[in-house]
Amino acid sequence: MSQTGYIIIAIAIVVALVAIFTISFVAYIKTPPPAGCERGKGPNCENCEQSSCRFYAYAEERAAKKLKEEKPSTKKGNE
Amino acid sequence: MAYIVSFILAIVSYMVIDNVILSRYFGICSFIGVGNKVKSAVGMGLAVTFVTMMAALVCWPIYTFILVPAKMQYMDTIVFILVIASLVQMVGFFIKKKSISLYKTLGIYLPLITTNCAVLGVVQNNTAYDFGRSMANALGTSLGFVLVIFLFACIRVRLEGANVPKAFKGVPIALIVAGLMAIVFMGLGGMIDLGSWGLI
Repeated sequence: MSQTGYIIIAIAIVVALVAIFTISFVAYIKTPPPAGCERGKGPNCENCEQSSCRFYAYAEERAAKKLKEEKPSTKKGNE
Repeated sequence: MAYIVSFILAIVSYMVIDNVILSRYFGICSFIGVGNKVKSAVGMGLAVTFVTMMAALVCWPIYTFILVPAKMQYMDTIVFILVIASLVQMVGFFIKKKSISLYKTLGIYLPLITTNCAVLGVVQNNTAYDFGRSMANALGTSLGFVLVIFLFACIRVRLEGANVPKAFKGVPIALIVAGLMAIVFMGLGGMIDLGSWGLI
């Protein structure tokens, strides 16, 4: 086979693989996660139980902050 | 019989002696990044095992039956990267659709593996082996990854409660631990003579 033939086959292989990747990527993104595994975006995912997720720490921090903010107001209310 | 023994010895060798993290320095990013909690380390280890085995199973025939006859061995890296990335997305897609329990265990780790060099390293090494040895390499390497990341996570969990000097807290002490683990694993070198079993 000529040099041009090999180049065409190489390009065809790469194009085919990129197409397969694109299709599988779109399919993965468009598939909704199973019920009970939905996650919010960023720090808003307080309902998530995946403690190893990097956003989980932010959610915990936010919850602690919220609790701190709520405590003084309840004290005032009691007074 | 000799083939089975050499297969098992190859797995043990790739797992412990020629460990992917501590000896070949692949997959360090996930080792340091995810190896701070036992649960996440095990999840990542399982996901890497799954993807490595799948990638080895798919990439070896592609290299041997497509790239070599077409004299395109120079394209192996880009082909393997694309195959691994597609494979990860496909596996993620099926897990998302079919298995809730697997999604809960591996779900968030699967996309991270697309860029895990341990998987690519295994597949690249396999180009020089026959099919049996390439599978032994994939299995041994992934089991070695699970073993080391699990041990590392256990040590790091204990270190959280330890009285570590302020300057060493976090990643510095983790790197020291990784270095000590590498020395420990280095001590196992020479335990199995692969040459006598015809594996080199």
